[in-house]
Amino acid sequence: MPKLVCTPFRPPFPKGRMPSTSPLLRVTHARVRHEGNARHTPDDVSFEVAPGEVVLLLGPSGSGKSTLALALNGLVPHAVPAELEGTVEVAGIRSTETTVAELSAQVSMVFQDPDAQIVTGTLLDEVCFGPENLLLPVAEVLARAEAALRRVGLWERRSENPDRLSGGGRQRLAIACALALRSPLIVLDEPTANLDPAGIEEVYAVLGELVREGGHAIVLIEHNLDAAIALVDRVVVIDGLGRLAFDGTPDAVLRGQVDALMRMGVWLPTATLAGLRLRAAGHEVPVLPLSPGELTAVLNGLRPIVPDASAVHRAPGHHPAIAVRVRGLRVSKGRGAARTEVLHGIDLDLPAGSFTAIVGTNGAGKTTLLQAIAGVSLPPRGTVDVLGLDPTRADARTLARTVGFVFQNPEHQFIRGTVAEELAHGLQLQHLDRAAIDERVDRMLDRFGLEAQRGEHPFLLSGGQKRRLSVGTALIAGAPVLALDEPTFGQDRERAAHLLDILKQLNDEGRTVVVVTHDLQLVADYASHVVAMQEGRVRTHDETGAVLASGALEEAGLLAPPLVRALRATADPAWHCLSRLSDLGPER
Amino acid sequence: MTARLDPYADAPDRGALRFLHRLNPLAKIAGPLPAMIALVFTRDPAVCAALAVLALLLLVVGAHLSGRALLGLFVLLPLVTALLSFSFGLWADAAPDATGSGILFAVGDYRFTTAALAVGATTALRLAAIVLLSLLAGLTSTGPDLVRALVQQLHVPYRLGYTALAAYRFVPRFGYELDVIRQAHRVRGMAAGRGPLPAVRRHLGYVVPLLASGIRHAERVALAMDSRAFGAHPTRTERHLVPFRARDCTFTLAFWLATAALYAAAALLPH
Repeated sequence: MPKLVCTPFRPPFPKGRMPSTSPLLRVTHARVRHEGNARHTPDDVSFEVAPGEVVLLLGPSGSGKSTLALALNGLVPHAVPAELEGTVEVAGIRSTETTVAELSAQVSMVFQDPDAQIVTGTLLDEVCFGPENLLLPVAEVLARAEAALRRVGLWERRSENPDRLSGGGRQRLAIACALALRSPLIVLDEPTANLDPAGIEEVYAVLGELVREGGHAIVLIEHNLDAAIALVDRVVVIDGLGRLAFDGTPDAVLRGQVDALMRMGVWLPTATLAGLRLRAAGHEVPVLPLSPGELTAVLNGLRPIVPDASAVHRAPGHHPAIAVRVRGLRVSKGRGAARTEVLHGIDLDLPAGSFTAIVGTNGAGKTTLLQAIAGVSLPPRGTVDVLGLDPTRADARTLARTVGFVFQNPEHQFIRGTVAEELAHGLQLQHLDRAAIDERVDRMLDRFGLEAQRGEHPFLLSGGQKRRLSVGTALIAGAPVLALDEPTFGQDRERAAHLLDILKQLNDEGRTVVVVTHDLQLVADYASHVVAMQEGRVRTHDETGAVLASGALEEAGLLAPPLVRALRATADPAWHCLSRLSDLGPER
Repeated sequence: MTARLDPYADAPDRGALRFLHRLNPLAKIAGPLPAMIALVFTRDPAVCAALAVLALLLLVVGAHLSGRALLGLFVLLPLVTALLSFSFGLWADAAPDATGSGILFAVGDYRFTTAALAVGATTALRLAAIVLLSLLAGLTSTGPDLVRALVQQLHVPYRLGYTALAAYRFVPRFGYELDVIRQAHRVRGMAAGRGPLPAVRRHLGYVVPLLASGIRHAERVALAMDSRAFGAHPTRTERHLVPFRARDCTFTLAFWLATAALYAAAALLPH
């Protein structure tokens, strides 16, 4: 990778922030090696952050972004077993010469998992936790807590248990906790990766306000660039080897280095990807769009593309057979007085060979429905039929031949000591002979690129490998129906895209795929059918294009994906019937 | 989840009559503690019963009891005590009294006597009394208050206390995780079959994924706590003071006196 650092850094202060001569954060030739690793990631990274500046840190998975974030407040090397070379200075203090606790007055952190940041029993106690540790007087603690909670709109709920907040609410609480420390720099590491679209909106509404007010410098690691890009002053990119690749304005880096970023596997805003597709299709796109608004402007200058009928809608009669039939499915959860019905009589027919996405807000009953279909939970007898099989009556052996279920966290379903045994398990249940098992295991290892890992313990694989193995185990007994619960949750975009390509392949081979997901762009790009659920009922079930065009997503309380929003905002209604990136042009 | 009792919510004030809620958790432990220790060595059923009744009275008057707690105290506890009296009695080796009238039933050579039942009942009553005494604190204090009292009065290092509190949050999370793992393993046909051996294998299978996610979660929580200056100073600001007041001393001393009086009376009075 050519090392190309864009124009010397000149902080833009478009929102009335005061420029300052000395940087707040200075990272100089920083490299980190985790205990037991041979490689340094990040490896020789230098950049500065000025007071009030918002910096987006990008890089493919494995580039060391999160490790770098941990180094910014001294967790590396003080709390994480890793070696730091080079220096990290915050407000002139070297991270190695002080403690994490001391640095917390300068740098505060917001992490990815909202559950793993909560320590106390009420919102107020939670926000007070940091200032209390700093030994501030009670009056000061309370004043800070109130200001921080009001800033994120949670003051009214201060006496509640954080467990009662939604994911988005808990991340807002984490931001309030960072604000209460009154540190000039806030580092956010994938703050929305575990959230549903509503939660992402909530978090970005708060972050947007913080940025408008100025006063805080922010270092943001984020894969959801559609929401983030509007807030960012500067983009710093680390390549796959952990080296600094680019450092400059969003314009200089995202537009100027777009080819290099694509090669690196860095995810780009949907609008930019759409612009690239338009260019590849031969359209005139002089300036690549970065936001949905800019994409709309670009599209308004073009002649609408006539959708390729075969690509948007599969011909009717293409899926004559029904793979999954659900009739009058009611499911209740909880015990005693807390028992409530979560699915209120679902009727559903999923065509064989379809790629169906079940979408809906949190608590709509998506996962419950999927688990009932796959026999993971046991619904009332006779309500579910998968290719002639009632999952409630099937034993593990028959079930494995009919429907494979991939859990949200792959580790939950691993039961054997090596990757090869893990795959062989499903076949041993079928009482196949040794030779046949070995042959099919070898084929599956080859298909998912896991040959080198065949003797390893499944828990020691990388995140992407674990995910592929879990799909392999669900498939190996030959199940024609594959059900996946949030397969892209908490993953970076590169891994997510890789997994989806695998699913697409399986679907093309004729398997019926059912996924529960929050990622609506994924739905638009991959799913043939969409089931939109709301409050335990099916709101809409139709082909993807029809659902996206009908506004049924909004009726179910969801927000259309960014591409669809940009398309709908165009002047010419001919654009409005498109929804997929592939509608705009080929991938280069 | 929302319907469950919130272990972290501030305990509402139940009024002056429900005085147990207004006492320092340490007083509610220190007061009954001598009695609980003494009960381990007590063979006198009258003393056991008196202490059990005292604890029960204090609970009924001084504590705000939920329906479930009342059910436990007045239905479940007597039932269990009766059951234990009988089963401990089966193991007791007590000869029938001289007249031979105390035999309740006999199976072959074995004779179940009133004396054996009395021995069993005393043992069961001792256990019941210890449970009731521990409930004085158990039913009327919250975990966070106990931790605060330990830190503020007994000077337990706050890093220990608050880490324990944070760990308490793991419990419902692990419960949920265990459910999911169980479902996953069942679907995959892990160690299917009835009987103790497959059951043991099944449960061993849950350990690895649960430990893996537990350790990872704990690491993340620790990093989040460190990032928020946990452990920066030897002490930290306390907004919730759990003072040890005159009434806590009074309660503790009164309880000690009552215990001593009971034992004295039992020793002096002829049976």
